[in-house]
Amino acid sequence: MTTVLLVEDDPAAREGLELALRRLGYGVRSAVTGEAALDGLGGAAADVVVLDVMLPGLDGLEVCRRLRRRSEVPVIMLTARGGDLDIVGGLEAGADDYVVKPVEPRVLDARIRAVLRRIDRPGSPVETHGELVIDRASLIVRRAGREVSLTPTELRLLLVLSGSPRQVFSREQLLGLVWEHDYLGDSRLVDACVQRLRAKIEADPAGPRYVQTVRGFGYRFGPV
Amino acid sequence: MRTRLIVAFIVVVMVAAIPEAWLISLIFRWYPSLAKLAAIPGPIDSLLVEHRLALPPGGSSGARPFGRPDSVAIVVFFLVVVGLLLMVITGLAFAATRRVLSPVGRLAQAAQAMSGGDLTVRLEPRGRDELARLVATFNTMAAALAGKIAQLERMEARARQFAGDVSHELRTPLTAMTAVADILHDQPAITGEAAAAARLVSQEIRHMNRLVNDLIEISRFDAGTAQLVCQDTDIAVCVAACLRARNWAGVDSEVPPGLSVRLDRRRFDVIVANLVGNAVRHGEAPVTVRASAGPGADGRTELTVQVRDHGPGLPPDAVAHVFERFYKADTARARSQGSGLGLAIAWENARLHGGSIDAGNHPGGGAIFTLRLPTG
Repeated sequence: MTTVLLVEDDPAAREGLELALRRLGYGVRSAVTGEAALDGLGGAAADVVVLDVMLPGLDGLEVCRRLRRRSEVPVIMLTARGGDLDIVGGLEAGADDYVVKPVEPRVLDARIRAVLRRIDRPGSPVETHGELVIDRASLIVRRAGREVSLTPTELRLLLVLSGSPRQVFSREQLLGLVWEHDYLGDSRLVDACVQRLRAKIEADPAGPRYVQTVRGFGYRFGPV
Repeated sequence: MRTRLIVAFIVVVMVAAIPEAWLISLIFRWYPSLAKLAAIPGPIDSLLVEHRLALPPGGSSGARPFGRPDSVAIVVFFLVVVGLLLMVITGLAFAATRRVLSPVGRLAQAAQAMSGGDLTVRLEPRGRDELARLVATFNTMAAALAGKIAQLERMEARARQFAGDVSHELRTPLTAMTAVADILHDQPAITGEAAAAARLVSQEIRHMNRLVNDLIEISRFDAGTAQLVCQDTDIAVCVAACLRARNWAGVDSEVPPGLSVRLDRRRFDVIVANLVGNAVRHGEAPVTVRASAGPGADGRTELTVQVRDHGPGLPPDAVAHVFERFYKADTARARSQGSGLGLAIAWENARLHGGSIDAGNHPGGGAIFTLRLPTG
């Protein structure tokens, strides 16, 4: 069973979301504050974190940032409608996706499934691109012999891009393939994830070798 | 003002009186007999006759035994003096007028600046007359006006902030309700009245969700915090996806393939959805969406999207109001499916893009809404 760590300070919203998630078949643990969430994650690991941005004390963005330092667990932010600052800040802090409150349970369910889904792309199980070794069977990525820890979303993005080297993917395509969003998906998700991925796999994130920008079109893997 | 005029008048009279008095004393010195005659009361005519009679004999241009000027020279001299006097008086009048008019001019300029929106304009009061008092009154009025407007602006900002805060506060309980609404709705154990009540509650939670989301959207426009997230967008794909997502199967769309415009995709979707939704709800089928790009009225390239229905069209008095918040053309219809903010939000989104939406009726019948967005 997939376990969701729900971080929400409002009791009614927390109880409502707990009820809805349990009914959808998830195991739910909740935390009222950011501090409690960080402590709670030290014990039994959650598969995904659903994190409210507006929290008393440590806010959601700071919780996300601290989480990222020690864990690759997928994080979905609960944001205010159109709170662009929250969204941009959340993505920079390392969130994988966001939903807008009040969220319908089926939407949250789809997002949770998407961030957890393993992706199967054609290609040999172990590929070597320059210094980068991607093992599609064990889902391990190594750079110069050292293992790189990626979040599921970052890994999926890398697998999609490297599955068709030199092919240009538009942001919309990537939103569909990696995030399973419809055509209205927020392309900032892609850009933020590319930045994080580059920071982990590129020797020089400013002059990327693996994940390259094709101005006006999108991104492609290589040529290395 | 009046004091100034009186002072100017007295000065003019005094200055004008000096050469006149001198002239009169001169004449009386030259004609001592006149001085004697002048003392005799009598009609002016006889005085003039005496004057002429008293002239010395020997012709007018001949010898001047007593060194006196003749009558023509006196007249010329008199005319010159009068002319000089006139010049002096004109000069003094001009100076006096200038002194009065220049503060009036400054006041006029200040009033003009104020009507142009500059409420910080103030004048330096000079002197202690009526003009200075007027300037002081003007300054007091300007200060009062500026204070009043600042107060109104503060009140408006508070009202907007309040509307935004209320919407945000409503969202927290709505998050809980939205999460559990389906549970209530899907219980087979609930039957009869309880089932009807559960259905009603679920339905109204969805309606309230729409309303609160739209209110938050509007409050962000009012607060000026709405931002564009632009990307290159295939209009045909976007319109088709918008119609598909809302299950509007009966809507015809004529959008040339490959028409790509850089815009905020979510906001464009909101505009199209609100215009088509309005046509579907209040107009009659067939509803058509047409899009094209071309030079606009100002010569710059613009994207034009027209949404037309084939119903009775907009009532003439509604055309000017359809984009107002919560405006209902048909007062008999108590509440529609929408929030009442759809067209207002569409209009704000168009404006945010630097574009516009016009509402009107098609000559062939039905209402037509035209969205224009600059593409440059």
